[in-house]
Amino acid sequence: MAALPRKPQAPSAFPYDPSRVKVIACATVIEEMAPRMPPEMAREVLDFGLHYRPGGLTVALQEVIDRSTGFDTLLLGYGLCSRGVVGLRATTARLVIPRVDDCIAIFLGSRGDYTEQHAQEPGTYYLTKGWIEAKDSPLDGLNDLVPKYGEAKAERIMRIMLKNYTRIAFIDTGAYELEHYRAYAQENARRFDLRYEEIAGKPGLVEKLLYGPWDGECVVVEPGGTVEYEAFVADGHVPAAGLPGLNRA
Amino acid sequence: MSQALIDAIAEMEDEKAVRLAGELLGGGETPLAILEDCKAGMAVVGDRFERGEYFVPELILAGEMLKQISDIVKPHLTQDGDAPKLGKVVLGTVAGDIHDIGKDIVNFMLDVNGFEVHDLGVDVSVDRFVEAVRAERPDVVALSGFLTLSYDAMRDTVAALEEAGLRGSVKIMIGGGTVDDQVRAFAGADAFGLNAMDAVNMAKSWTTAGVA
Repeated sequence: MAALPRKPQAPSAFPYDPSRVKVIACATVIEEMAPRMPPEMAREVLDFGLHYRPGGLTVALQEVIDRSTGFDTLLLGYGLCSRGVVGLRATTARLVIPRVDDCIAIFLGSRGDYTEQHAQEPGTYYLTKGWIEAKDSPLDGLNDLVPKYGEAKAERIMRIMLKNYTRIAFIDTGAYELEHYRAYAQENARRFDLRYEEIAGKPGLVEKLLYGPWDGECVVVEPGGTVEYEAFVADGHVPAAGLPGLNRA
Repeated sequence: MSQALIDAIAEMEDEKAVRLAGELLGGGETPLAILEDCKAGMAVVGDRFERGEYFVPELILAGEMLKQISDIVKPHLTQDGDAPKLGKVVLGTVAGDIHDIGKDIVNFMLDVNGFEVHDLGVDVSVDRFVEAVRAERPDVVALSGFLTLSYDAMRDTVAALEEAGLRGSVKIMIGGGTVDDQVRAFAGADAFGLNAMDAVNMAKSWTTAGVA
């Protein structure tokens, strides 16, 4: 297999016409994609809150896919996302999805980078501009709970929720001005006694999604096909469901 | 049965629930009856969670209430505690995952339904599961994981039990995230559960029918 280009190809080198391509992305992921997108490329952004109910995410994404006519390719700014993309049908155009568990891998640059961070410190609460804008941070969680439960109880709930967490990792993706978001991430860490760290994100996966090549780091489903769980699994092998799981007696 | 206790748990009135449990115990109610109320209250919480009326904070509060009430009533369980257990379960959140809200509720529900539970905690390495199964000889191994990343660790854990020659002596259930039969097959487990009652029902079906 030919070596992969390190830099994204210029839009003029596209194997396709960018005006025939539409990005369908989560509100958190679009923050990383938008600054790098060719201007001709269409986009539709979905609410971050959909990921709390993976079934709801599937329904919402399918609805957008079905009405996205007039495009050859739909680029999904999502990962496996709690299996929320499994079962999506490519009805109007080819679907291309980063082959990762969730958007943390997209921000960090690859599946491998995520696996490495995850193995190093599982108790990591990741933050980016997108998550902070979507109000998915411990401080926002606390603020949401106070009206319902009062300050003391809200504090207790958040402390329990975070009890196995050890650090806040702010991912600097280089896609936006840091200062405001960095300060907020630091405030989160201080408030809940978590270690604060910054991790340099990499744009590799976002650029690959936008500019190709769609190699093994992307799941590609041609029109008529369905997004399968197998495609996201590390070695691509899932035994047929319904059979006893063990192949080795 | 105390409807007031069930309601207090279901309505997230944690202080009231703990106080009521203490009062019931002082008034001569049996520890088992109080734990039954906890189960009933938790069932309401679980239903509301599945319907999208409750979220993770409510599961946390419910889990805390169950823990506090257990701490109050369990020391009085001595007589009932001698009753033979339905079976033994080794439980833990798999390597690389630190989520335990669901696991702790499963622990409580298995416990009050008559199982001896050995909870290994979170981020449990494959080796620790193997050691625990070797030492405890459980009927059931329950693997929890919230992240899809954890499905790899579930599979590794099952494979390691097999390699250690222990797979045939246990039934393995998985749960925690968006698991289904496909994930079960991927992990090589015997069953998957969507909530704590599923875990109890599966464990009961395996232990009362006898483990092959």
